[in-house]
Amino acid sequence: MLEEKEHVHHFKENGGFEVDIRMKLESIDDPFTEVPPSDEMTVFLNQHIGPEGDPLVKKGDEVEYGEKIVDFGGKGKMCVPVHSPVNGEVKGYASVRHPLSGGKERAIIIETEDEEKEPCYEPLDPKEASRKELLERVKEAGIVGLGGAAFPTHVKLGEENISHLIINAKESDPNLASDVRLMMEKPQWLIEGIKLMGHILDVEDITFATRTEEGETPEFEELLRDNDVRIKRVRPNYSVGSERLLVKEVLGKEVPSGEFPPQIGTIVHNVATAYATAKAIKEGESLVSRGMTFYSKKTGGKNLWTRMGTSIEHILEYVGVSQVEFERIALGSIMMGPTIPDPSYPVLKATSGLTVFTPEESDPYEEEKPCIRCGYCNTVCPVDIYPQMIMKAEEKNDIKRLQSLNVLDCINCALCSYVCPSNIRLTPYLERAQNKIRKKKG
Amino acid sequence: MSEKEDETSGLYKVGDPPHIHIGFDKNQLMLKTFLLMSIIAYASVMVMGIQALFHILIALGTVLIVHGTMDSYQKWRGIKPTYDSPASPLVAGMIVGLCMPIAAPYLVTAVVAFLTMFVFKYMQGKYFDHKYLNPAATSKSVLFLALAGVFRFVDSEIAARVYHPHHQELDLLSAEGFEGAMWIFRGETVPLLGAEVSATQGLFFWQTHGWIGGASGVVVLIVGIVAAYWLRYKWRIILSTLGTMTILAVGTGLYLGGDPLLRVAFHVFTGSVIFMAFFMATEPQSTPMPENSQYIFGISLAILTFVLQIYNVVGGSLYALVIMNMATPLLDMIVIKSPYGHRESKGGG
Repeated sequence: MLEEKEHVHHFKENGGFEVDIRMKLESIDDPFTEVPPSDEMTVFLNQHIGPEGDPLVKKGDEVEYGEKIVDFGGKGKMCVPVHSPVNGEVKGYASVRHPLSGGKERAIIIETEDEEKEPCYEPLDPKEASRKELLERVKEAGIVGLGGAAFPTHVKLGEENISHLIINAKESDPNLASDVRLMMEKPQWLIEGIKLMGHILDVEDITFATRTEEGETPEFEELLRDNDVRIKRVRPNYSVGSERLLVKEVLGKEVPSGEFPPQIGTIVHNVATAYATAKAIKEGESLVSRGMTFYSKKTGGKNLWTRMGTSIEHILEYVGVSQVEFERIALGSIMMGPTIPDPSYPVLKATSGLTVFTPEESDPYEEEKPCIRCGYCNTVCPVDIYPQMIMKAEEKNDIKRLQSLNVLDCINCALCSYVCPSNIRLTPYLERAQNKIRKKKG
Repeated sequence: MSEKEDETSGLYKVGDPPHIHIGFDKNQLMLKTFLLMSIIAYASVMVMGIQALFHILIALGTVLIVHGTMDSYQKWRGIKPTYDSPASPLVAGMIVGLCMPIAAPYLVTAVVAFLTMFVFKYMQGKYFDHKYLNPAATSKSVLFLALAGVFRFVDSEIAARVYHPHHQELDLLSAEGFEGAMWIFRGETVPLLGAEVSATQGLFFWQTHGWIGGASGVVVLIVGIVAAYWLRYKWRIILSTLGTMTILAVGTGLYLGGDPLLRVAFHVFTGSVIFMAFFMATEPQSTPMPENSQYIFGISLAILTFVLQIYNVVGGSLYALVIMNMATPLLDMIVIKSPYGHRESKGGG
């Protein structure tokens, strides 16, 4: 018998789905523990939305923790440097399969010498530093959106004419809890980061959007109130945490298709990005580590503080499980994380979680059945598109039809697949359809 | 960067997200639909008697035999079975049983069940990318059309018991003709209560004529609402079909005469409308996906049904449904709702 909340009658038309969050609740009580760096760190040159940078180091070079090892020589504003996560020696470059793009990309291999962590940059005093200096620091420290998109933070913070800042702590994914842990464990740093973001954007109207209930993070909530940050408790429905949907949830406005929140005077930043921003400005810390949630049925949820470049293999060892007892590993959440073929893949700036499955937890989409056109997919679609009809048009390569079905507005939340009674994984069809249109548009 | 390469040699299986599923599949959907329809079947047997049970069992037995035979054949030929459980065939069989007129010969029920399962489920599914026509509705329509043709040329009792030639003489357009035609629904005595029902009460609660599935319109209404909510049927079709039928019935009553309540009871609560609206018109494969198209589908279905009903076409609601099924691909192409980001100019709202 299905759990009550997993039954289809809990669909919220046009509003997503109240996905079971017991996995998240299991993870919330586990405090962050710091994963020591692996002996060898694999640092990709490209870890954000934007072009790949140029390496600043060569084989045999000694590098320090937080030192810039990848930079961009005038490649445009979307460039974000990459830093060494350890004190160590550059062993060379490798062409390694990138967990997100799937293609082979360049990575720097660093042999770890010690676990020391001494920030590379001097702290800045926000009261004395100019807006330009603060933005430059955010960029230099390699800060990107840590909600999963890895969009350069300095680009967002550099927007003009912004009237509203939304801090996104919704953390919709049903098995991730690292954002809530940050709210519990680092409240002072978070509030500093939120204030700094407001200061850089020159915005006073700040909303903190969260799934948590009153009293779940009491210390942090008090700080929010003391600093005039409005708390908005958003619906628990999955996918409401997506940037575009959150804007609608908080402000009642829609971001026009093809545009971004600044178009309507709004900026959305992830709560973990606020933390990284505060650390970069006030402590000179570059973005070389982050909080993430490891989840397996065997171990439950574990919140880990991990350096970018650490291999998954090393994390599995740290957590106390064997790499051979699993059949699938998703880099990220159970809803949206891409799978990786082997445990040598490293943690990236965008890695918010690690979800592992044993052979007993077989892929629920393995036994796909023919579509029955029940319409469940478009009923739950939070952006009101028609995944089933898009799938059919994609199969027929009907680009005109795909355009008329507004597939580019899909936010890839995967809810359509999640509810499909024929166990059809619709998400890849939608992604392929988006790529076909983008390719046609050039 | 470089092109994505095939990834088959790793330690782990690779696949796209998501990695979790709601856990509710179409076999469960079918099984729950079947269980809910069993309540209607139970009520029908209570009202119409053992004959109703025989029709239902014959329909279920026929579809299960066809399903078992096909399943064995497909396994023998090494073909992936079309149905991995008997849940969907059971629903089809139950629908056939409940959409047969109680007066129909059992042989007709068996033939409709066979056509439903073999021709319009297996074959339609095999030769088309999905089922464009509702299997039970199309089977019954095809057979009834054939029997109507037979009746015109041959004095066949079987055809007469399906075709109901006396229906041709009814005048449902005038007040007198309509109320006179309703005699068949009144005068029944409800066991235990011992009360004799009026035509209106009969149509709502205790029909011993017409579709087996419409024996108690109120039971169908309650079970249908529960099913539509619990299993997320395409409720817009139900709402627009029954809503339009109600408006047309009341309007006809006010304009042409006849007790409007009795008109509603007849035009909405007979099995050919209320059972069809909940359990046949919502059949997912043959009905539109876009929400507004579902409203158009339901309104059009109701208008067609009403016209055919008032002109005494036996099986009119099923012909109407088949016609609307044929219009579904067109309805799928139009009235696509505006998604997020297209509804508010400049993000206002």
